[in-house]
Amino acid sequence: MSEGKELRSILATDCGSTTTKAILIEKQGDSYRLVVRGEAPTTVEAPFEDVTKGVLNAIMEVEELAGRKLLDGDKIIVPQNGTEGVDAYLSTSSAGGGLQMMVTGVVKSMTGESAERAALGAGAIVMDIVASNDRRLPHEKIRRIRDLRPDMILLSGGIDGGTKTHVVELAEIIAAADPRPRLGSSYDLPVIYAGNQDAIPEIEERLGGKTSLEVTENIRPVMERENLMPARHKIHDLFMEHVMAQAPGYKKLMSWTGYQTNSGWTSAPIMPTPAAVGNIIQTIAKQEGIQVVGVDIGGATTDVFSVFQDVFNRTVSANLGMSYSVSNVLAEAGLPNVMRWVPFDMDESELRNRIKNKMIRPTTIPQSLEELIIEQAISREALRLAFEQHKALAVGLKGVQQERTISDTFEQSSSGETLIDLLGLDLLVGSGGVLSHAPRRIQSVLMMLDAFLPEGVTQLAVDSIFMMPQLGVLAEVNERAATDVFVADCLIRLGTAVAPIGKGKEGQTALKATIQLPSGAQHVEVPFGSMVRLPLAVGETANATFEPQGKLDLGSGPGKSLQTELVGGVGGIFLDCRGRRPFEIPTDPASRIRKLTEWSDALEVYPKEHATASA
Amino acid sequence: MIKNRTPLPASPSSAKRLALSACSGLVLFLGLAALLATSAAAAVPGLVVRDNPDDRGEAILVEWDGEAAGDSVRVERAESEAGPWVMRRALPGSAARFVDQGEGGPERGKTYFYRVNGQVLSATPTAQWWNKGRTNLFLILALYLGLIMVFLNIARKGGSLFIRKIAGLDAMEEAIGRATEMGKPVLYVPGIDDANNIQTIYSMAILNSVAKMVAQYDTELIVPLAKAFVLPLAEETVRSGYMDVGRPDSFRADNIRFLSDEQFAFTAAVNGIMLREKPAANLFLGSFFAESLVLAETGFTTGAIQIAGTANIHQLPFFVVACDYTMIGEEFFATSAYLSREPMLVGTLKGGDMMKLVIMVFLVVAAIAATMGHSEAFRSLLVIR
Repeated sequence: MSEGKELRSILATDCGSTTTKAILIEKQGDSYRLVVRGEAPTTVEAPFEDVTKGVLNAIMEVEELAGRKLLDGDKIIVPQNGTEGVDAYLSTSSAGGGLQMMVTGVVKSMTGESAERAALGAGAIVMDIVASNDRRLPHEKIRRIRDLRPDMILLSGGIDGGTKTHVVELAEIIAAADPRPRLGSSYDLPVIYAGNQDAIPEIEERLGGKTSLEVTENIRPVMERENLMPARHKIHDLFMEHVMAQAPGYKKLMSWTGYQTNSGWTSAPIMPTPAAVGNIIQTIAKQEGIQVVGVDIGGATTDVFSVFQDVFNRTVSANLGMSYSVSNVLAEAGLPNVMRWVPFDMDESELRNRIKNKMIRPTTIPQSLEELIIEQAISREALRLAFEQHKALAVGLKGVQQERTISDTFEQSSSGETLIDLLGLDLLVGSGGVLSHAPRRIQSVLMMLDAFLPEGVTQLAVDSIFMMPQLGVLAEVNERAATDVFVADCLIRLGTAVAPIGKGKEGQTALKATIQLPSGAQHVEVPFGSMVRLPLAVGETANATFEPQGKLDLGSGPGKSLQTELVGGVGGIFLDCRGRRPFEIPTDPASRIRKLTEWSDALEVYPKEHATASA
Repeated sequence: MIKNRTPLPASPSSAKRLALSACSGLVLFLGLAALLATSAAAAVPGLVVRDNPDDRGEAILVEWDGEAAGDSVRVERAESEAGPWVMRRALPGSAARFVDQGEGGPERGKTYFYRVNGQVLSATPTAQWWNKGRTNLFLILALYLGLIMVFLNIARKGGSLFIRKIAGLDAMEEAIGRATEMGKPVLYVPGIDDANNIQTIYSMAILNSVAKMVAQYDTELIVPLAKAFVLPLAEETVRSGYMDVGRPDSFRADNIRFLSDEQFAFTAAVNGIMLREKPAANLFLGSFFAESLVLAETGFTTGAIQIAGTANIHQLPFFVVACDYTMIGEEFFATSAYLSREPMLVGTLKGGDMMKLVIMVFLVVAAIAATMGHSEAFRSLLVIR
């Protein structure tokens, strides 16, 4: 955090694989606001091979749009002097594939999973987990490490005072693999040891000479507790020292990043993009005391972030995306699952051809309404699968002793249950082209409702121009500035969804609502299997009383009423009585098309003539 | 039984006595005549003598019309029509039937004559291949075996057979994983009953799966035993588990320990192991009695993950409160199929479950029918002769 001196203006960039995005934030009155945004192609690869060129191009666009001088030749003007320059320049990076790591643990579902969470939380892509019980023979593990060539390895295993033999065995496997780093050949592969502290001498003996070994605190000092932060900090440090330093132009970029304090200019680290996104989501969850899920759906990967019970989790679904990985979405979800979101008849081969075309021409965007509907159908499945994977990793600790009472005789919950509680979810934030750039915001609403199936009362939002990475790194320096911009300029509030859990009879009243809208009180009865949209603008709130009928539940108990405050958005309020647990779509094509069209019309998702247009 | 009587020689000295004798003879004659007349009048209506059906040929069934018969019915038997007649039973007329069997009963293939209140009929006992009185039992057995065969076939063909989640069994790997991470052994107690107890046998099947897991995780397994006969069984079970996963070198015979067949001496010794060696996972799977709470409480204080399973339902409350996971009753017997997923075991388990479902449905329907006053139809279905 900045000490004492208030930052007047902040320039932040995010160096992505294809585009470098720059934003300019200024203090206006008491709060910070986004001024302009600029972007330029990333120049980390040939022919430029210097990331700073793309950064300067993006900043030049910001200069032009903002009408103020930020650059002095090839240098950013710091600190701010009158209207020239900025008080802080910060950056994130995912260029060159981001940080790719391998992690190890003794038991895959225990220290292996803790190591995975530590690496993912630090913004890495976890290429593989090597564990003592992964049923692979030592030579297979060695070959795997050699083949993958990670940027870094996180070696963990055993609690403090626990097993030594297994951890030392893992170290011997790494030593035998003698892995070389992916970028650069002049340095040793960074290995972070975060396992049983009693085994440190043996680990140093085996890896000290062969790798750039760094020892930190155990990520699982006891079975009952994780200690991930020291390992995450170490990953960030090594990411800067080793990985970033090897990427073209990053040494120069690292020398630019920093911010003005009372004691002068303080350098700031470049963060991996996903770590920065996670950071801003954690910050918001902490500040507002809410439970949040965030998703960033890209072309090749989909990142899901969540904060439940103050526990932050992040997962990367490396093969789920909307362009390069779109065929894999089809393979994993299956054609019937994609087709169930398409509100018109379509030949199976035609759908396959469209999807393959998107894969080989990843930069194309839908040219017709039909193409848009198909793309959004696929995105629902990509998001659903990514969220399923997230739920599987965002779990409580396994291997922890339980305390029972006699009432547990017939229902014994097991440890390691998912932390994701959709009923307790307060805010769902979507990001990525298909969500942020949907022609109608209401399309993003329906995509998120269909993919995540939020329960109870949940606010929905999308990231307007994907500036969460920049705000994440800014939160490290100035939390207030980051949250001000996040709330005012980053998030586009879509509205609030109200979805009771349970199953009812099609057509029978499922929910009675009395909502005090600014235009007056409105009484609504929503039949089961239907959706209703009510207007409530951005910045407006409305008190509401809901009476779920029968055994439907909004969180107060089956059939019990709920009083709550609804927050408005560009979409308004969405009363979703299509059922949860289970959520069902008719399987026969005619009924499916009828229901999808009915829902689409109720929310005004697509132009009404789409059915005839498609037919 | 009537026997011929020779007249007494007349005394030459007493004519009066002779006259008295003549009177007596007349009375006797009249009495006999009356008796014969009565017998003829009491001929048993509806009398049938035949081979007793559905048996192995060692009984003859005598039936008559119970309502029309007189006060009493005498059943005599002879091997020829001429006799001699042997009294088999005297019954009230309302009894309506008599099965001549058991001690002194007829022999298979031999013809017997029955005189029932003087009326003579014959029958030959023969053996039947099919006992129609037990057809219901056969059908139930056929249904049970059929269900098992069907599910066995499905399992062998790789069909997916759903077995509901049993938290205790899913936690088995977790418990062993915990022991591995902590560098501590796994303790497996297969109950205190002998090798002929079904729970001990099932426990050995589970021990095999546990031994495989432990060998894969390369951690230590301690098996204390209360019965000497179980020792070789347990030793071989664990050894084969280690061999199955290719780690025979990790097997330690010393860890399969016979402690004592005295209940509380054994309990004290197991507590000693828990307190000294601090296993990170305690598995109590088998037949347990009063020692259950002592063992489970001690294990809890050492901080171990504990999984218990027993069919001795009186011990379940103690295990439930002191263990992390407890398998109750049938769950314990499903364990080996759940863990191994072998088609033979899974198919048998599913077949058994389905049969239980059939019985439950039958009981519900029968209870409803009985409540509505139609219990006879169901009762007759269940009668076994």
